[in-house]
Amino acid sequence: MRGVRSLSTAVRLTLISLVICGLVFPIVMTGIGEVALPWQSNGSQVYFDGKSIGSDLIAQNFSVPVFFHPRNDSASGVDPDITMSYAMSQIPRIHNSTGIPISFLYGALQKYKQYTLFFFGTPYVNVLNVNLYLVESYPSIYSPYIQ
Amino acid sequence: MLTLEGLFVVALVWGIVIILAWFLSKYLLLVFTDSKSRLDRIFLPVENFIYAISGIDSSKKMGWKEYFTSLFLLNVAQAVIAFFILMFQQSLPLNPMHYSGMSWSLALNTVLSFSSNTNLQHYNGETTLSYLSQMSAFKFLQFTSAATGLAVGVAVIRGFAGKTKSIGNFYYDYVRSLTRVIIPLAFIATVILISLGVPQSLGGYSTISTLQKGAYEILYKGPIASLVSIMQLGTNGGGYFGANSAYPLQNPSQISDLFEIGLMMFIPTAILFLFGRMVGDNREGRTLFLAAYAIYGIDLLIAFLPTTHIGEGMEVRFGSAAAVFWTVTTTAFTTGSVNASLSAFNPVVILTAFFGMLIQGAPGGKGVGAMYMIMFVIVTIFLVGLMAGRTPEYLGIKIEGRDVKLAVATFLTHPIIILVPTVVAFAIGAEKAVGLAANSIGFTQVFYEFTSAASNNGSDFLGASGNTVFFNISTGIVMWAGRFLPMLFMLAIADSVATRKRSPSQGLKTGSLSFVVILIVSIFILTVLTFFPFLVLGPILQFLQGFENSFGGVIFGF
Repeated sequence: MRGVRSLSTAVRLTLISLVICGLVFPIVMTGIGEVALPWQSNGSQVYFDGKSIGSDLIAQNFSVPVFFHPRNDSASGVDPDITMSYAMSQIPRIHNSTGIPISFLYGALQKYKQYTLFFFGTPYVNVLNVNLYLVESYPSIYSPYIQ
Repeated sequence: MLTLEGLFVVALVWGIVIILAWFLSKYLLLVFTDSKSRLDRIFLPVENFIYAISGIDSSKKMGWKEYFTSLFLLNVAQAVIAFFILMFQQSLPLNPMHYSGMSWSLALNTVLSFSSNTNLQHYNGETTLSYLSQMSAFKFLQFTSAATGLAVGVAVIRGFAGKTKSIGNFYYDYVRSLTRVIIPLAFIATVILISLGVPQSLGGYSTISTLQKGAYEILYKGPIASLVSIMQLGTNGGGYFGANSAYPLQNPSQISDLFEIGLMMFIPTAILFLFGRMVGDNREGRTLFLAAYAIYGIDLLIAFLPTTHIGEGMEVRFGSAAAVFWTVTTTAFTTGSVNASLSAFNPVVILTAFFGMLIQGAPGGKGVGAMYMIMFVIVTIFLVGLMAGRTPEYLGIKIEGRDVKLAVATFLTHPIIILVPTVVAFAIGAEKAVGLAANSIGFTQVFYEFTSAASNNGSDFLGASGNTVFFNISTGIVMWAGRFLPMLFMLAIADSVATRKRSPSQGLKTGSLSFVVILIVSIFILTVLTFFPFLVLGPILQFLQGFENSFGGVIFGF
């Protein structure tokens, strides 16, 4: 008899826990996110010409020589960043295929440089941000390559 | 390599977490000792409502058998309902991507994994699970298993404190863990995570044309932040994505990375301080805290020794120091989330990850970490008592033969459920089905799989490739044995010492710094002696073979 009672308690406590933790909590949090922080809640999307071109946080497929390229072997497979040294190594290729001055490309990387630890650590850049900056700076060169 | 960056991130996170955990322990004392609080006006009506519809008398004192039966039945009921949600998600709402249900063995493994606070994942969540499964199967079990662990930790401490002559009432501990501790903290953490860039949406996944002509990406936006908060805070570790916290939407930046490390550490650290507060002598809590953090710190120092490059398997934005810090922390606190591929690490880092999971109490998961630390204290006091020829005692309580037997049973559960299945796996050739060979790399990965399962950690090398009937069933059994047997033994000890006579302590001064040193040495000796041959065949052999990571070896074979 006591066994049946504790089983019935277990089932009822399971159901109320499920409603509170598995439904009410995430739905309330979604509501708060949509109202208070809609940009982040929807994946930090970057806009170009008024339409979304994907998330700031997800690596995009850049394969033509005129762009900086992401790496393909990282843990998540969508690492949006590359180290400064890897970015620097791509400058000659982009210069050769676009004619954009090396000093400008170097300056672009400096402009978007971030560090893995606030102001020190390993320097890196977000590939989408720096490519978007090139597109906006040289629209005529890049127009055949973009959406 | 020990860098300024490494030392800085560790000092920063440790400092903030330890201070906040000290204040949290004050609050936990109020929550679990039935103290009056101004917050009662908000929480009591909710709790009374839950007690009423569940038919609970929250004031009834339970013995260890009733306490354990109540928690075990609740966990069974929760696992069963989650199992059906996973099997039949295609017929349930909130499945905009129309994913089909899981196979029975994968669903079984997954619910045993999440209900035991392990979160071993033999699947990639973003491409197999509906929103409802992520919320009502996983988030639900992450909350409830965290509450179960916290309840048991508090019950064991309450027994040793002896103030109420009882280990308490499970339902009372479970419900208050949820309403007053875990849900409010998860609420705050979720808001912070969203602001740092973790999505929280039910709008469905979308395919977006990206900047370069003809290129596109799938943007997996879902109720992610509300899962990440509880997975770290509850030391669960099961991520929304197969790549876990390496995936940028789950962990967008260096700041979110350090914040998530802090979340893992927060409650387990507070419980070590809570021990001192509940027994009425902060020095006793200090002993557990110092021993646990010293071992955790030694692991970190060892893990920082080899040079870790930002290379294959690492995310650029975190840097190598934070990747190592995360991996040691996630195993020391038995969380199991990862922010880099384990294969990217030097075998020395993997060795320290093993230490965290084999010890389980340095500092361990929320609730159970403190429980394992108390187990080590009892065994240590017994060993020292043997050497000194005196009756062992702890907190003025005479430690009897039955206590020592149960503590040793708790300790021995771990090697039995790790070593036996590891040997069985190689005896029947199960490693071949997941693409591994019987060499140091294959051995490390299979040994790691069962160690992670047994310690309810959940990080692993296998990931979705571990989805075979053998690994699903074997790790499923190991996870539940590793979760519930030690709880049963330790509740039995706590219940019997709760009513035992206390005399002014005459034995070892367990609040002293010299006892901290004895405890640390004893933990290392017990753990290393038990697992040494297995560690030699795995990460130590890899190190001696000169491997810098596990990528090359797996591909070319040795």
